[in-house]
Amino acid sequence: MTDPASRSTRGVEFRAARRNILVGMTWVSPWLIGAGAFVFAPMAMSLYYSFTDYPLLEPPLWSGLDNYFKLLSDPTFRRVVTNTAAYAAISVPLFTLFALVLAGALSGRGEGGVGRMAPLYRACVFIPTLVPLIASAMVWMWLFNGEYGLINKVLALVGIRGPAWIVDRNWVMPSMVIMSLWGVGQSVVIYVAAMQDVPRQLYEAARIDGMGAIRQFLHVTLPMISPAILFNVISLTIAAVQVFAVPSVMFRRPDGQNPAGHFYTMYLYENAFVYGNMGYASAMAWVQLVVVLLLTAVLLAAGKRLVHYSRV
Amino acid sequence: MGTSVKTQELTRRAAVGALAAGAAGYALFGPRGTQQVPKGRIVLDYWEKWTRHEGDAMERVVDDYNRSQNRAFVRYLVVSDIGQKSLISIAGGSPPDIIGLYAFNVAPYAEMGAILAMDGLAPRAGLSLADYAPGVREVMRFGGRWWAAVNTAGSVALYYNRAAFRDAGLDPDQPPRTIAELDEFHAALLRTDERGSLQRVGFLHREPGWWSWLWANHFGGRIYDEGSGLALLDSPENIRAMQWMQGYVRDLGLERIKIFSESFGNYFTPENPFLTGKVAMIVQGPWIANLINAFKPDFDYGVAPFPTEQGYSPSSPVGLIDTDVLVIPRGARHPEAAMDFIAFTQRQDMTERLATAHCKPSPLAKVSERFMADHPNRGINVHYDIFRSDRAFVPPRTRVWQQFKDEFDTVVQRMWRLEVDPAEAMSRLQTRVQSLIDQATRQQRRRNGSGGGGGVGGTTA
Repeated sequence: MTDPASRSTRGVEFRAARRNILVGMTWVSPWLIGAGAFVFAPMAMSLYYSFTDYPLLEPPLWSGLDNYFKLLSDPTFRRVVTNTAAYAAISVPLFTLFALVLAGALSGRGEGGVGRMAPLYRACVFIPTLVPLIASAMVWMWLFNGEYGLINKVLALVGIRGPAWIVDRNWVMPSMVIMSLWGVGQSVVIYVAAMQDVPRQLYEAARIDGMGAIRQFLHVTLPMISPAILFNVISLTIAAVQVFAVPSVMFRRPDGQNPAGHFYTMYLYENAFVYGNMGYASAMAWVQLVVVLLLTAVLLAAGKRLVHYSRV
Repeated sequence: MGTSVKTQELTRRAAVGALAAGAAGYALFGPRGTQQVPKGRIVLDYWEKWTRHEGDAMERVVDDYNRSQNRAFVRYLVVSDIGQKSLISIAGGSPPDIIGLYAFNVAPYAEMGAILAMDGLAPRAGLSLADYAPGVREVMRFGGRWWAAVNTAGSVALYYNRAAFRDAGLDPDQPPRTIAELDEFHAALLRTDERGSLQRVGFLHREPGWWSWLWANHFGGRIYDEGSGLALLDSPENIRAMQWMQGYVRDLGLERIKIFSESFGNYFTPENPFLTGKVAMIVQGPWIANLINAFKPDFDYGVAPFPTEQGYSPSSPVGLIDTDVLVIPRGARHPEAAMDFIAFTQRQDMTERLATAHCKPSPLAKVSERFMADHPNRGINVHYDIFRSDRAFVPPRTRVWQQFKDEFDTVVQRMWRLEVDPAEAMSRLQTRVQSLIDQATRQQRRRNGSGGGGGVGGTTA
């Protein structure tokens, strides 16, 4: 049996806790209402639509798993899956590598000019990420122009006849990947911050053990910033699977999209808003979500083995 | 402790105060509509795709309508990607009152019950189908009903550079009439530099590439039969047309074409390859005369019906009729008033004024002598000949046309790159496109059976 004083104290605590929860919920209610109305409700609706024939201008009719089975026999679906997978497989590792190398050079730990000028260089690397995607795509279209483009002009100086980058299907993917490196600044900033957080004594110990700069980077820096790398790789993978705006601008001609520059989200959008196949587009969206979740789970599982979370 | 509570209260007060100040500021100094709507009038929202001089011309018609009466006021709004945005607004139940769409939108929108039939509305507003040029009527009707009015109409013809013809020793008054002649002219007009790079071509199928599907019609065939709902992509005529197209790539060399094409500027600029003389003959609509008049008024061009495999008689040239249409969407708040505005735009003086500004023919059967005499497009008669021709054609009218066209364009690109044989590629595409058509038909039947949807016979006003 508890005494009345103790019951009264618990009652006060309970009321205070309930009040706290209510206050907290009130403060987050704009987000909850917004997320409910604009994220969770549309998600639930799109899940339902994915099992229907829904031409957007007419009411949806239940069609079971038809849309999902249709995906299997759709050649355009196969093409966009292949293109997107190839883009993700090439761009994510390359982007990560490029960002790490740049971050290593700009982390401010080195001696000499780069070290002193590092803040300026960091700003220069970051600035391109502030340029709107469509504007960047327009600039790159001119850089990649086969006849007048700066890239081919530079190649011509060394006797190489550059390709028609954004027209030739063999060069569409390389041009997309190269253009994606333009936005490396954000990752570089995160890596630089993580690198600056690595305790100096670890490098001193490594030097005493006879490690050179490369081995220090591989055995000290990389393990210590691995949580940041994991975060970036997951973000990049999700972004690569959802790539949309840049190829829509760069590889679209009056007579249609260059098939080599046709990606998953573009086809999803076309089905939803151009062809009016909202049911089919919803099925595509759910497949995409499941794939993204699976990839994230795989990366997180790999992260458990490869990522180093302890602090010195 | 006491301090912390005080701080929390202040923070809340500040947050609420900031929100209130923001709301008050927005209410007082926030954005305002720029158009003043006169009191007591019905407001009609009109979405149109045109910008620049084309948009300005339509806005003048809207202004005239607003001044001409005191019942309704039309708000003109330029909308990009108008097909997609219209689709969403109609599906969302919040469409404008009038939408300016393309001819190819009419059939799918009508089938889905997304637009109102005008059979009842239009005659009440004083319109009659008999007032329109014969080819134009085809665009306005679908499934035996009247769905759209035409604000500007165009037909597609061969535009050629007369100076280049003279340079190549060709007679600019005798443009090609058959595909074989077109090939000969192309060969004569071809110019390369000392390295073999292309400097000028006679004709290039993908410039500008807006109608990659229409060649079959110039080889005596078509790609879709509306009556039976059958795609005809693997027809001998279409395969011959595609082989003809591939022949140009083989002769010119794919790599040379790629590099040459990259030197072309955008269509709506002075760097348009037809204006710069890089492509001497193009398939185009009458609106290109506006570009010529604006960017290169001394450009010497000629206009003729596009050649066919067997040639054509002057009275029955072959050509695509491609128009801009005005429709009243399902869910429009004031369909009668919208029709009244549409009828105003269809008056002879208005259609002629708009057509002149767009360098196009008038969609009406009757035109004034002054309109023809002062028309800024020197080839306007050719476009009228196509309007009146029994061999003129309209874009395939099927609900899946947009996807049909995209799939077709993709295969054309592969054929252009010489990756696939036309007969094989068209056979595969035939299977794919026919399955899309059949699937849409099955779904429509199921929908009609279940009582859902508007359908061709559905929505009216």
